[in-house]
Formats: sequence, C-alpha cells, structure tokens
Amino acid sequence: MIEALQHVIAHVLRYEVFRIGPVVITSTVVTTWVAMALLLGLVYLLTRRGFEERPRGAQAFLEIVVEFFYGMAEQFMGREGRKYAWLYGGLFIAILFLNYAWMIPGAIPPTSDLMTPVALAVVAVPMTWVCAVRKKGVKGWLRHFILPSVALLPLNILEQLVRIFSLSVRLFGNMFGEEMVTMTLGTMLPLFGPLPIMALGLIFGAVQAYVFSVLTVSYLAEMVQGH
Amino acid sequence: MEFLTVALAVALPAMVSAFSQGWATTRAMDNMGRQPEAAGDIRSTLLVALAFMEALTLFAMIVAILIWTKV
Repeated sequence: MIEALQHVIAHVLRYEVFRIGPVVITSTVVTTWVAMALLLGLVYLLTRRGFEERPRGAQAFLEIVVEFFYGMAEQFMGREGRKYAWLYGGLFIAILFLNYAWMIPGAIPPTSDLMTPVALAVVAVPMTWVCAVRKKGVKGWLRHFILPSVALLPLNILEQLVRIFSLSVRLFGNMFGEEMVTMTLGTMLPLFGPLPIMALGLIFGAVQAYVFSVLTVSYLAEMVQGH
Repeated sequence: MEFLTVALAVALPAMVSAFSQGWATTRAMDNMGRQPEAAGDIRSTLLVALAFMEALTLFAMIVAILIWTKV
C-alpha cells in the first residue's frame, strides 16, 4: 500500500494529452475548454429567451446571481463597486466552473494545477491597477505607492507582488490538497472512502471562488477608493 | 524520517491555524448571536480573515511538497 501511496501524486498532476507542433496541450487546458464550453452553453440557454419587465424562470435566477455580485461589492466600496462586477463576477463564475470541473469523471480540476491560479491572479491584481488608473489617472495610481511615506515604497511594491502570490497559492493549495486527500483515501478505502471529502469539496469549491473574488474586491476597493 | 519531516511540515501549521480559525469563528458566532442584524457583515469579514489564516497553512504545504519532491 505504501508503494501505491507514493504514486498518488502522479494521479493529481497534469499530463500531456496531445501536442500541436512544439505546443504541449495538457489535461488542464482540455478540462478548461470543457468547462468553457459548458459555461457558454449554459449562458446561451439562460439568455436565449431575452429579458422582460417582469422576471421569471431563467431571468429570475440571473437576477439573483447579479444581486449577489452587487451585494459583494457594496460591503467594501458602496454603490460604486457595481461598476466592477465584470471583473470579480467573471472571476467568481470562471473559478466556480473550473473547481466544479472536478465532478467530470476522470478530470483533474484545472485549478489544482498551479498554472491556472497563477494566470487568474496575474490578471486580477494588475486589473485593479487598470481600474485605479482609469479612475484617478496615472499620477493618482502612482501616488498610492508612496503613501503614507516615501520610505514605504519598496514595501508597497512588495505588497502588490505578495497579493498575486497569495491569491494564486491559496486557490491552488486548497484545490490540490482536496484532490490529494481524495486520491489518498481512494487508494486506501476504494469506492466509498473519499465520498465525505468529495462532498466537502463541493462546499470548498464554492467557498474558494467566493474568497478569490472577495479578495479581488477588497484589493480593488483599496486601489480605487483608498487615499 | 524524511516522511516524518514532510508530515510535520504540514501538520504543525495545520494545527495552529485550525486553533486560530476556531477561535476567530467562535468570536464571530458569539457576536452574530449578540447582534443578528450585523450577521451579514461579520460573516463576510470572517470569510476573508479565515482565508488569510488558511493561506499560511497552504504556504507550509507548498514547502512540504518541495521537501518531498526534493527541489
């Protein structure tokens, strides 16, 4: 059994599916494509009927989702936060679907590969800078780095880099840990052993998506409204 | 011995962060019971705080994986 456990990690790492010339297409990319296709199909189905004055059915559901996003931003930055729903809302839905890609039999969730969370965080944090530049101009954005004093400039720059690091590692660590525990339990007690952990994984997938987007909102609030 | 190192590198930070998360959650629940009208605000702040505590364990897990794979 120890032998089998030592090979558990090989089952949760990405693997090469095929390659186009020198470009390797890994299982992460393929699973992301599947999640994207599901998401696009769902969006098409939900918005196909168009919107009416009195919401019902699919439109009512969509309005609940949008209200949820608005409520998330209003705690941190008031009504102004609604303008940025495209950023954190998009991240929330994308991460939720990538986490739940786990439920496809045989698929490894793309977020348990370090590259996907890093890509998301590398987009999310500089996007808060872009929003700050659009609101306050380049000068206002740069001023943010020398407050409260010029001596803190290196620390402020470091803080931005640590944000990218911690956002990505938090998402990666949670999903990877989840996957590792499930795989280990599945090796020790096949079939029903990992079932409770998988149920927990459903909650964790949603919570991690929420945490990622809430942290993006709080960074955004600090960049756009701070000082 | 090596496995023990790897296991402890995750287990000790996990213990500490579990205690601190439990403490934070206890306080949050106490105060949610005391003022239910602020429950929404407390809950979202709690989730962000828990995420920050969780991150430290995850950093430890990364270190443990690095030790395990001998990078």
